[in-house]
Amino acid sequence: MKTPTIGRRAALSLGGAAALAGASRAVAAPAEVEIALLVPLSGPWAEQGILERLGAEMAVHDVNKAGGIKSLGGAKLKLLVIDTGATAETAKDAAQRMLSEHPHLVGGMGCWLSTFTLAVTEVTERAKLPWLTLSYSDAITDRGFHYIFQTSPTANAQAEQIVPILMKLAQDTTGKRPTKVAIVGDNTAASVSFLKPIKSHILKDEKLTAVVDEIYTPPLSDATTLVQPVRAAHPDFVLLLSTASGDDKLLADTFSEYGMPGSKMPLIGNGGHWVVPELLKTTGAPILQDIMIGLANWPGKDLNALSARYEKRTGNPWFGHNEIFAYAHVQILAWALNKAGAANREKVADAIRTMDITDGPAIYFPGHHLQFDSKGRRVDAELVIVQWQNGRPVTVFPEAMAVGKAVWPT
Amino acid sequence: MRVGGAARLRRDGIALAVVTVIYVGLAASVHNSYYQLMLTLVPIWAVLGLGWNLFSGMSGLVSFGHAAFFGIGAYVVTLALVYWNLTPWIGIPLGMLAGAVAGGLIGLPTFRLRGHYFALSMLAYPLAILYVFEYLGFQEVPLPMHRDHPALFLQFNNPLLSTLVAVGLFVAAMIAGMLVENSRFGLALLAIRQNELAAEAAGLDTWRWKMRGLIASGAIAAAAGGLYACVLLIVTPDSVFSVLVSAQALVVTLFGGVATVWGPAIGAAVLIPLAETLNAKLGNIIPGIQGVVYGVAIIAIMLAAPEGLFWTFRDRFFRRAPALPPIRARAPPPAVRAEAGILLDVRGLSKSFGGLRAVQDVTFTVGAGEILGIIGPNGAGKTTLFNLLNGVLRADAGAAVFAGTELRGRKVHQVARRGVGRTFQVVRSFPRLSLLENVIVGAYGAGLDDTAAAGAAEAALEAVGLADRAARPAGELTNKGLRLMELARALAGSPRLLLLDETLAGLGREECDELLTVLRGLRERGVTIVIIEHTMHAMLRLADRFLVLDHGRVLAEGAPHAVMENPAVIEAYLGSKFLARQHA
Repeated sequence: MKTPTIGRRAALSLGGAAALAGASRAVAAPAEVEIALLVPLSGPWAEQGILERLGAEMAVHDVNKAGGIKSLGGAKLKLLVIDTGATAETAKDAAQRMLSEHPHLVGGMGCWLSTFTLAVTEVTERAKLPWLTLSYSDAITDRGFHYIFQTSPTANAQAEQIVPILMKLAQDTTGKRPTKVAIVGDNTAASVSFLKPIKSHILKDEKLTAVVDEIYTPPLSDATTLVQPVRAAHPDFVLLLSTASGDDKLLADTFSEYGMPGSKMPLIGNGGHWVVPELLKTTGAPILQDIMIGLANWPGKDLNALSARYEKRTGNPWFGHNEIFAYAHVQILAWALNKAGAANREKVADAIRTMDITDGPAIYFPGHHLQFDSKGRRVDAELVIVQWQNGRPVTVFPEAMAVGKAVWPT
Repeated sequence: MRVGGAARLRRDGIALAVVTVIYVGLAASVHNSYYQLMLTLVPIWAVLGLGWNLFSGMSGLVSFGHAAFFGIGAYVVTLALVYWNLTPWIGIPLGMLAGAVAGGLIGLPTFRLRGHYFALSMLAYPLAILYVFEYLGFQEVPLPMHRDHPALFLQFNNPLLSTLVAVGLFVAAMIAGMLVENSRFGLALLAIRQNELAAEAAGLDTWRWKMRGLIASGAIAAAAGGLYACVLLIVTPDSVFSVLVSAQALVVTLFGGVATVWGPAIGAAVLIPLAETLNAKLGNIIPGIQGVVYGVAIIAIMLAAPEGLFWTFRDRFFRRAPALPPIRARAPPPAVRAEAGILLDVRGLSKSFGGLRAVQDVTFTVGAGEILGIIGPNGAGKTTLFNLLNGVLRADAGAAVFAGTELRGRKVHQVARRGVGRTFQVVRSFPRLSLLENVIVGAYGAGLDDTAAAGAAEAALEAVGLADRAARPAGELTNKGLRLMELARALAGSPRLLLLDETLAGLGREECDELLTVLRGLRERGVTIVIIEHTMHAMLRLADRFLVLDHGRVLAEGAPHAVMENPAVIEAYLGSKFLARQHA
């Protein structure tokens, strides 16, 4: 078996580090602290991982520009970006490789897709590496792991929250409580677990009747058979639990063709794939108009300056779901490193476990409160509702974050 | 045990022991957990390849659906652990059982199909099962962590132990594969791979062998899947039932070499680390490029070594005759007991294909010890008649009684077992097998045990004059040699009646004479022969009697010269104009 060799890139950065070290030897050289971003950069989910990388890179830049990790003598953060590939196996292999090639890693984040996160954290947990994730699956924090921190509300929590929020939005804007809902969803893990609590008790609690309940296997090639029953049933709103932008586009297009665009029939999606720039490009602003999306995070009005800086830095049209999570995760690791005062996995994990703050990295989450429970779930993680308005996703809920006002189409 | 099987087993066993020791030594010296993971994955994928090879590689029935077994194994282990807290040590055997049952259930309907249709329908099973598991809500099932009893639940803290378990499974699968390869089981599958009909005509119950093959193969693939779940620690329908998993089984085997246990091992040992190295080195520079390079590498190597690395290397560096014991001089094969009276009695046999009446009301008898020549223009129904007699086709009406038993309604291998041997218009040999093994297939078909089969095959080779070349691969034979070899294969089952379909086709005059001598020799030993032939000069010298078919009917029957002068026969062969000119 070959021994690990130093890649060209590693050699360059080593050279860079050496140069840096040489330049600052006089001031007791602060070492670099390595953190990892392990996300899909190739395969069907690459677009999602690329957005996370942009967010994480900006955060590392911001932390380093602000003087690095103060308690470590201004040590700079170094971000390792690693591709999971397209399967759970390649993701797990990549995690194992990351750990063996970078023994000094103190923390990491990823992998967007729950399946990958589940596989990768089996490795990171055994290596006691603190790991932050935006993945939604409840299973991630149901395994009794101690080094995993889930900053998004879990799929179950999102499901519990979204319907009451929608009922409130409808009542506030129209003065009427909806009574009929149509559900169209795919059969992936995320959608299935999302629908479980809704079907088991939430509909009953909210006195709602599911007039349509259509499940499909992605990817969709034709959505008419899903949309026709919705038109026949005249629901008060529609839950669209798709998981891929391609299906989102087809559903939005078909609802529009059948005279039920988001501007006439309340269409509610869930998940970051509904608000990627690509969807706007392929579908167009008029068809997306007024579609609402439940999200685990989205920048509110208090982060307008940060959003503008990101847009200028990357040329992307907005600072979105994946980007803000990655940005926040880097900030959490920086905060924990600073608190721990040592580039040590155990101490960093401890700092995250015991954090209970409303400032610092907490401002990047709805509710501005950052604390994790014993499972590693963020306490009081709240859902954000974003609405497509004139070709831009606009935060409309919670009110404290709202950039614009919600429109409930009737 | 196949001829030379013991020697081959000993040689392969030693090689396996050496490879295992080296591999374990390598694994023990690796302290990098990532390389250790690779060392765990290589034997697991090799086991899947071995499972695939045991069925598809050996029998030639390509399966694009081995992910079905792999996934079933993975899910049985996972769900047993999640719901019953059952250790994978029991879960994996349980998964193998499920894989074997799945093999049976899948084989039952699918063996009705052949060739590409079989391959394509196999593709459907894992895809269908994938949706079933999604529907059941098993989209993402993590294996619960057991920190207290890591060894009991195959969740070792030391990754070396995982590698050792994987190597153990690999060694078990290799041994199973070697035993199959060197037994009549393996030879039967190889015979099916070359020509299923010929194998069936030699008396092998091909359906049963295929079924056994798929069941064993399903169990092995399921074992690989079960262990894979323990290594990956999360199971999703996509990661175990996807086309990529089925493709992995094919790729490692085709790359390493089909129909040898070493193929999957070589393929996995090269490809898995290659893919990973590419992921590690190139994937970090341009994500996704690793897949392109991997694909190009596979194409390049397959172009250079189309039969897989194993065969290409063997042919280049170790091309020699397999070490077979020299054939001992033996007494001429026991004469078939002389029979008297009518051996085959055909009455009113008919077969139609839609509007085409291929065989109509054909009636004739064959006396014991006789050589009956069947002649007739192309399309007269001669081969169809043979196919009706030996069970390839089912007759619409009529009867064919052979030595007192009705042949109609019996399967090909059952007819063969009653003592009816057959050769085909186009010779199908098993080119990589030695002549002796080609012939042994026929002896196995007759239900002989290993020693008796080897003896019968040697005797049959001697009878056709090929004894001195018994150890050579059949691929080296000339056309005449192939005809003789096929004849020997039919003879090895000690038939009482031989159905020979254009055995002399394409032979020169001298070669033809040699074959005639052999055939006459058979008759002297009491074998009854029915032969279809166009080579008239040979037929006139060989046959006792002619039966002339035209448009599916019996046109004439009788002594050769009398038949040849029959105006109806001349007209059928040469047309009415010729007849008119002759009379003019």
